Order: sequence, then C-alpha cells, then structure tokens
Amino acid sequence: MIEMDAIRKIYRTQHVETHALTDFTITIDDGEFVSVMGPSGSGKTTLLNIAGLLDTFEHGRYLLDGEDVSRLSDRQMSAIRNQKIGFIFQSFNLIPDLNVFDNVDVPLRYRGMKGNERRAAINKALEVVGLSARTKHYPAQLSGGQQQRVAVARALVGTPSLILADEPTGNLDSAMANDVMDLLETINNMETTIVMVTHEPELAARAQRRLHLLDGRLIDLEADDRPTPLVARTDGSPSARV
Amino acid sequence: MFGYLIRIALLSLRRNPVLSTLLIAAIALGVAVSTAFVTVYYVYSGNPIPSKSESLFYVQMDSWDPNRPYSRRRPELPPEQITYRDMQGIMASDIPTYHSGMFVAGLTIHPPDAGQRPFRERARMCFADFFPMFEVPFAYGGGWGRESDRGPEPVVVIDAATNDRVFGGGDSVGKTLRIEDRVFTVAGVLAPWRPSPRYYDPHNGPNQKPEAIYIPFEFVREFEVYPGGNHLIWDDSDGNTFEEHLTSEGVWIQMWVQLDTPEQRQAYADFLDAYVMEQKKLGRFGRPLNNRLLDVMQWLRHREVVPEEATGMLVISLLFLLVCAVNLIGILLGKFLARAPEVGVRRALGASRTSVFLQHIVECQLIGVIGGLFGLGLSALVLRLINRLLDNSGQFGLDLPMVAAGIGLSLVAGLVAGLYPAWRVCRVAPAIHLKLQ
Repeated sequence: MIEMDAIRKIYRTQHVETHALTDFTITIDDGEFVSVMGPSGSGKTTLLNIAGLLDTFEHGRYLLDGEDVSRLSDRQMSAIRNQKIGFIFQSFNLIPDLNVFDNVDVPLRYRGMKGNERRAAINKALEVVGLSARTKHYPAQLSGGQQQRVAVARALVGTPSLILADEPTGNLDSAMANDVMDLLETINNMETTIVMVTHEPELAARAQRRLHLLDGRLIDLEADDRPTPLVARTDGSPSARV
Repeated sequence: MFGYLIRIALLSLRRNPVLSTLLIAAIALGVAVSTAFVTVYYVYSGNPIPSKSESLFYVQMDSWDPNRPYSRRRPELPPEQITYRDMQGIMASDIPTYHSGMFVAGLTIHPPDAGQRPFRERARMCFADFFPMFEVPFAYGGGWGRESDRGPEPVVVIDAATNDRVFGGGDSVGKTLRIEDRVFTVAGVLAPWRPSPRYYDPHNGPNQKPEAIYIPFEFVREFEVYPGGNHLIWDDSDGNTFEEHLTSEGVWIQMWVQLDTPEQRQAYADFLDAYVMEQKKLGRFGRPLNNRLLDVMQWLRHREVVPEEATGMLVISLLFLLVCAVNLIGILLGKFLARAPEVGVRRALGASRTSVFLQHIVECQLIGVIGGLFGLGLSALVLRLINRLLDNSGQFGLDLPMVAAGIGLSLVAGLVAGLYPAWRVCRVAPAIHLKLQ
C-alpha cells in the first residue's frame, strides 16, 4: 500500500532548519493496521501528511498503491486523496455549518457522484458508525465521541483503501476512545489499511504493527531499552536494525 | 457541483450576516451609481432607430455668408439647418423614398370642450413622410397623406397626453380641435414614442420629448408661424414681413431624407449638387459647394449629442465601482483566510486548489449578484432623480440591456474583489491548518 524510500522532509524558517523526517524508509502492506508512536516533534504528523499527499518532501520516493506520487500535479494528488485515502483527525475537523449528513457528503461532492449514489453511500457509512438517527444534527449538537464517529463515517464513505488517523482518540475519554478503536478495527477487517498516530500505548497495542519515531527516524523500542535508529522492513517483519 | 458551491456560499454569507451585509452594500452602492451613469451614457450614445439609421440622412447645404464660414471653429462645416426656399427647392425631388423638412413651433390649442381653457403646445410642422420615415408608432389612425401636404388640409396628429387632455383619451380619429384659428381633424393618435436621443431635431434638445402635435408644414404661411427653435441668419434679408422671413437666407428648417440604396444616395447627392449650382447662377450660395448627407449616427456624433459630462460621469462612476470592489479585497481576504482550517479539511478530503478557488469565486460572485440586484433597485431610484433633475419625464430608465449591464458590472466587481483572496486561500497549505482546527 505504502512504500517510502529515503524520504527526507525539512522545515525551514529564516534561522532554523528542522529535519522532520530523515531518510525515512518504510513499507506498509495492504490491509495492515499500523500504529505510530513517538514524542512530540518526532515526525509522526509529518509522516501522515506526506503519506496523505498533504505535504511534499525534499528527497526520496513514495509509491502509493504502486504509483509514484512524488511528481503528481495538485489535481492528481487531490483525486488520489479523494478516492484512496480517508482522514481522521484528533479534533474531528467537522465543518460546523454542515449537518452530519452534509459533513459525510463532502468527499463525495468532489468525486462528482450522482445524488442517489451519494445518499446510499452516506447512509451506509452512518450506519456503520451508528449515527443513522442523527443525520440532521449539527456538530455542535453532538458529543465528542459522536463527532469523531461522524469523522470516521466521512473517512470511510468513499471506501478508501487507506485511512490515516492522527490521534483519533486524543480528545476523547477512554470509553469513547475504545468505541472509536472498535470502529477502526471493524474498518480494518474490511481490508482497509489503517495508519494511526497515537500517544497511548494501550491503543497502539491494538494495531497489528507498532512503529516508533524519534527525531524523524524509525526506532526499535521493543528490542532494547535505548532507542535505536531503524530502517523499516520491506518484507513485513517487525523491523530491521541498522 | 455549481449548485453545491452556491449552497456553501450562502452558508458562508449566513455565518456572518453583518459582514455579509457590508460586503453586499458596498457592491450595491457601486453598481447603483455605475449602472445609473452607464444608462445615461447608453441613452445618449445609443442608436435611436437601428433598423433605418443607415438609410436616413440629414441634409446640409452651405448657403451661408460668402465672406465668413458658418463655424469659425470648424470652417469646413456648412450650416446645420436650411432655408425655407431651399427646402421648397429640394422637396421637389422624387428621388428619396421619404423626405420632410420640419421645424418646431409653439401653437395654441383650443379644446372642443368650452370648459377647457386654450393652451400652448410644442408643435412639429412637417410633411406627410415624417411618420413613415421615422417609423412613428400610432395607437389610433395614422399620419396624413401626401395630398394633405399640398392643400394644406387641416389634419393633425396628436400625442397620447394631448389626446387625454383634450378628448379624455380613446380613439379620437375624426374628432376636431381648433389650433390657432383653424379647426383641424385628428388623423392619428401616437402610441408611446420616445426616441432617445431625439435624433430628428437635436438642435432643440436631444433629451426633449417628441412634440405634442404635428400639422402639415405649409400651415406655416397661414399661421405665419415663426420657428420656436434655432433661427440663424447672416444677412439682413429677414426683413419685416412674414413673406420676407420665408424668402430670407435665414436657416431654421431641419431636412431629412430616406435613401435606401447606394444608387439612390448617389442620385440624391448629384441632385443636391445640381440644385446648388443652379442657385449659384442666381447669385446665391457664394461659398464653395459643400453639401452633406449624414446618416443618423454620423449626425448624432457631429452634433456631439453625448455631453462631455455624461462621458465624465460614466468614467467616474466606473472608477467608483472599482474603488468599492478594491476596498472589499482586504475584507474578503480576512474572511477567507479565517476559514483556512475548513479549506484544509476540504483539501484533505479531495478538493483540488481549483475547486477551492472556484468555491470562493462563486461566493464573491454571489455577493456581487445580490449586491447587483439591490444596486439595480437603487439605480432605478438614481435614474428617477436624474429624470426629475433634467425635467424630461422618464427618458432614462432600466431596460433589459441595462439590467444585464448592471448584473455584468456586479459580476465584474465580485471578480475584482474576490480574485486575489480566492487565489490566496487556494494556496493555503492544508497540512498546517488540520492540526490547528
């Protein structure tokens, strides 16, 4: 699903250069559920942004579903985001003026689907997240957990092959967080690849594979107490020491 | 997708009604002023008779002082009207499809109802061809026949207002009314007719309404009517008697002809030349041969019917609209950039930069159109005010082309105001805002 090879991402300001990802290499297979952990500033969100074609990188190669996306135009990348990727954010990022139905509708609008097809897909997605009865509610009328469920429905309504979740439970209490994790597992069981950034080890442990980032590099915390830089494996094994 | 973009734009406008009202008001004000003055310019500069403007010709002949040109500023120009003698001479031609000399005069009308007082009205003294030549519309009856010119027979065409005033409206054909000392029979009642500008006689005010009554030209002798418009003379031939006035070198008659084919035009030009050469032999027309046939639009340009003030106000009003639109750029930029997190979400969900750009341009255009509609309403009020100031009762009004122009101006204003903010917001890096929302 995802093949990144020696990706380098540097943020530059007038005086400072920050290496967000350094020679980052990883392969994530179709249908995997991968969690990404690491301290703040370790590059987790940058990894998701690049994986989701929301940010560019200076060096390296990125194959998404076998397609080199390094040099695509904005329109091509937008189409890929629309058709292959679903996003779930920590703060839900629902559009406050739109009701639940219309929020879930947003990605389908950019796909040019017909009205009846869109309605069917939206109703199905809301059914999966258990919010069929709240289609007319606005985000402000929902609890945090319900809002995140709407966000999940919006992410999966276009039946993407990859879902990128950036701390999806960060703003939820533990009960709601578990609900959302259950949902993600359900979605993963439908052969959807999930990459989830989280700070919570117990949630990360529910993924099939855990990645740890530090200073823009993958490390192996399971093999040693001390962080050790890794390059990710390409054969599906847990990780390979440098 | 367009319907969806309109819906998003409406939601955005509802989100901040005060700001939206300000934006719409700014566009409305700009559109109101600019549409009003575009309309004024359009009325002044428009073609008042598009179907025939290239076949109607105004006749000029240089019978002026041999020692001094008619216009010192432009010595090549002949006088703008002709003498009675010359009108009679060239009315003898059978080359034009239609032709008519004419002038405006003030005549007294005596209504048949003894209870009504006599009143003075502006009258056009003209020939039978005036009506078909200028495609004058009739509500009842029509113009008089050419045979009535020769008598002349006491027939009159009246406008709707005079018909209402004298006869209480309705079909008054065949009814009689006294004009000066003669009883005239009504041949026709005009339908509403308001050529703008009044091209057939811009000497006497291009913004004036057409005259209230029309009678055969040759009553000029019986009534001894002096022209109510311009009457210029370069020698002392005008004398003391009315007959001397008619045979003088004074120019006071407008002459129009309809020439439908190039051959007809050439033949009539040759006829005019021959007429003048004949007159030269009689000791008149001491200046070089200088006959002119100007079609309607050439004639209006020559008369500079579009006042400089109208052109100036047009430019100023368009600049005012531009200033309104430019002032909105900053407000829209702030409004759009405040929405960057939502744009980030839409970009993540598949909106391309073009989609985001279009979404915001549609919002600007919606502001423009709503502002434009209010502006058109205001513009109608401004035009009413201008009409009142110029005392010409409804010459300036919003017709379909002007409504379209108003909407067009509002769309352009919306585009000018929104282009840069929409471009900026579509360049927003989505990744930066997704974490912040």
